[in-house]
Amino acid sequence: MSEEKQEKKMTAKELSKKLTIEYLESARHARENGKFIGYTTAVSPVELFVAHDIIPIYPENHSVAAITKRLTTKLSQAMEKEGYTTHLCAYARSDLGYRITGESAMGGIPDPDFILACNAQCFTLTKWFEVLSRKYNIPVFVFDTPQWIRDEETRKRIIKYCVMQLKEQIKAQEEVTGKKFDYDRLAEVMEYSRDASHLYRQFLDLAAYKPSPISIFDALIHMAITVYLRGTPQAVHYYRYLIDEIMEEKVKKGKGAIENERFRLYWENLPVWFKFRNHFNLLAQYGGNILTSLYVHAWSYDFDTSKDPLLTLAENYVSVFSNVTLEERADMALDLFKRYDLNGSIMFLNRSCKAVSFSVHELRDMLTEKTGIPALVFESDMGDPRFYAEAQVKNRIQAYFETLEAREEAKELA
Amino acid sequence: MKREILSKLIEISRNPYPYLKEWKKEKGKKILGSTLADVPEEIIYASGAHPFLILGTTKPLRLATTRLPDNACSLSRSNLELVLTYEGELFDGYVLPQVCDTTQHLCDIWKRKFSDRYFENFLVPRQVNRPSAGYWYIQESERLIWSLERYLGIKIKEDALWEAIDIYNENRRLLRSLYDIKRKHPGMLTNREFFDIVKSGFFMDKKEHNMLLKELIDSIDIEKDKKEDDYVPIVVAGIVVEPNEIFDFMDNGKINVVSDDLCTGSRYIEVETKKEGTPIEAIADAYLKKGPFSPIHDEGNKMFYNLKNRVEKYGAKGIIYVHIKYCESQDYDFPDLRRNLKAQGIKVLEVETEYQTTHMGQTKTRIQAFVEALSEEARNE
Repeated sequence: MSEEKQEKKMTAKELSKKLTIEYLESARHARENGKFIGYTTAVSPVELFVAHDIIPIYPENHSVAAITKRLTTKLSQAMEKEGYTTHLCAYARSDLGYRITGESAMGGIPDPDFILACNAQCFTLTKWFEVLSRKYNIPVFVFDTPQWIRDEETRKRIIKYCVMQLKEQIKAQEEVTGKKFDYDRLAEVMEYSRDASHLYRQFLDLAAYKPSPISIFDALIHMAITVYLRGTPQAVHYYRYLIDEIMEEKVKKGKGAIENERFRLYWENLPVWFKFRNHFNLLAQYGGNILTSLYVHAWSYDFDTSKDPLLTLAENYVSVFSNVTLEERADMALDLFKRYDLNGSIMFLNRSCKAVSFSVHELRDMLTEKTGIPALVFESDMGDPRFYAEAQVKNRIQAYFETLEAREEAKELA
Repeated sequence: MKREILSKLIEISRNPYPYLKEWKKEKGKKILGSTLADVPEEIIYASGAHPFLILGTTKPLRLATTRLPDNACSLSRSNLELVLTYEGELFDGYVLPQVCDTTQHLCDIWKRKFSDRYFENFLVPRQVNRPSAGYWYIQESERLIWSLERYLGIKIKEDALWEAIDIYNENRRLLRSLYDIKRKHPGMLTNREFFDIVKSGFFMDKKEHNMLLKELIDSIDIEKDKKEDDYVPIVVAGIVVEPNEIFDFMDNGKINVVSDDLCTGSRYIEVETKKEGTPIEAIADAYLKKGPFSPIHDEGNKMFYNLKNRVEKYGAKGIIYVHIKYCESQDYDFPDLRRNLKAQGIKVLEVETEYQTTHMGQTKTRIQAFVEALSEEARNE
């Protein structure tokens, strides 16, 4: 049987698993094959790595695996013994715990030859990677992305600063790999990245269908490939495969991700990773389905390959939702409300993620004012069950749906 | 020593608002508030506006808690509270730097709360070792100049910038010489007094501060003023020491702070702006060469070497590390820092602080116990 035929039988989820295993294998054998390992942040110009025989490893993804396997509390405790606090990001806590205990949900990840931290996502990562840089005695290259403030002249200057830094990054990579950077290869990588990002966005936008064939939980599962295989033909193939599957299995049959969809919800922040299946089921009981968040859209890049690749890289990575002004972030969220016709909003104040959470109160005010849709704000942690109060979350969700129901009834009466 | 000058500076450091209200009435100048760190004050000064460094409040939190979660650092929450509840009327506008996630969000929140005032953010480079950092600091300084010019309807001339640089250089030179005196004769000027004097300079008119500092230093008669006593030399590390009663505990414990890496201490006063290139280039160069500061990325162990050198240079017996509650940068820095210092045989006491703390007793006891242990050790040597 040909490989293609075999693949046809696979679900997209199985294909994702296969690609992940292959990717991790290639990383584990990187050095035998003359390649290098680069640690990086999920939102970062990883295209420069891919074009330079540096296999990207994302400690964040490794931590997500630890969280979903419920290892975080134990890993965090190991780190707390070394003097770190429980206030830190659960990704960092899982990772620093892993560095001490070696315990992993994925059989471990290789040590780095290069460390890149892009602070468009957050500043926390820089500090966490500084700890790793001391451990492995290699420098951290910080790709510093000033806030993408709304001023055209300043934006031009920010881009210039970022392009300068990408050139510095290439130079630093050349020193580590001993290989001259190949811009032709980068052009090729950029095309794959462009296509995969567009397809990824198409996948997320399937949520505009009524009922929505996907929930945010599908997005959270399927985003993994664009995070770590961006810039490769596998990622492009994968998202085509995934979209075809959803079109065949759901859209053409008019099937939604949940039955009797009544509430199409927006989610603010990262997910509570160890609870997301429970959340899906809990909300479905009320006819609620979370369709999207700015977080899952963070990888919907729009690379313009007619431009200098460094320019389009800079433009895309600096303008990610976590690095724009609050006004722009609200506009980005409002665009999702409009495009997906949302009628509810759950805003998670995530103790782990200061970068995304610190403006939640302000953002709630802005969104509620513009949409008239009430929002539920609840506080917890994305990774550590010690900071998750089950009964409280359930009660608040229940009360929130009562509010939404009343609102819908009033609308119907009107 | 002219105690009346000392008293005036200390009073302003503890409650600068009556002084500033008077001063503003008299001079008719705009007051622009900034937070830590790295906003080029010289530029604001050269514009004719008055730069004021907002350093929080120990008064109760009322409104900040509804805007920032309780795991935001104590400094950011109390800064926001100060302007929302207590002293907001004083300020005509703000220039806020973005040095970490918290300050980035704080800029957005602040700007929305004070949409009727002048507001500019200063996007500090968060890496300092590559040529691009210098480029960016200059770009941001130019943007600040244009923004102030638009707001004030003036032109900031090169001469005004050089003059501001001279005034700031003089200020820092005077503070360094006072630090030298205090370091050698700790009985003459307490830690609290010295750091209060430094702090008053963040609030006052710089020229007046220079004048008072000069008069104070000139009035010191070492032979007459010195009081011999046994002090334990210590280096203080962190960002800020607040509430500043912590310095009183050090004074009570006969500690002599011989050096520090505080933003409100050596990291500020050790800067000497060289008069080379354009004024903006000179300022950028000086700022980027400052000592290590937690949120900004630098070489991973620079903070450790910097502290180790300070301990060795001044013969300190240990380090008191002042940790602002929920300061994420410090949360990440400290465990390695402590381990590395310990490996060098350097004793470290970590003191966690919060602006709104009402019980300082434990901090006092811990500082006392630390100094006793160090003295005991010294006696046994």
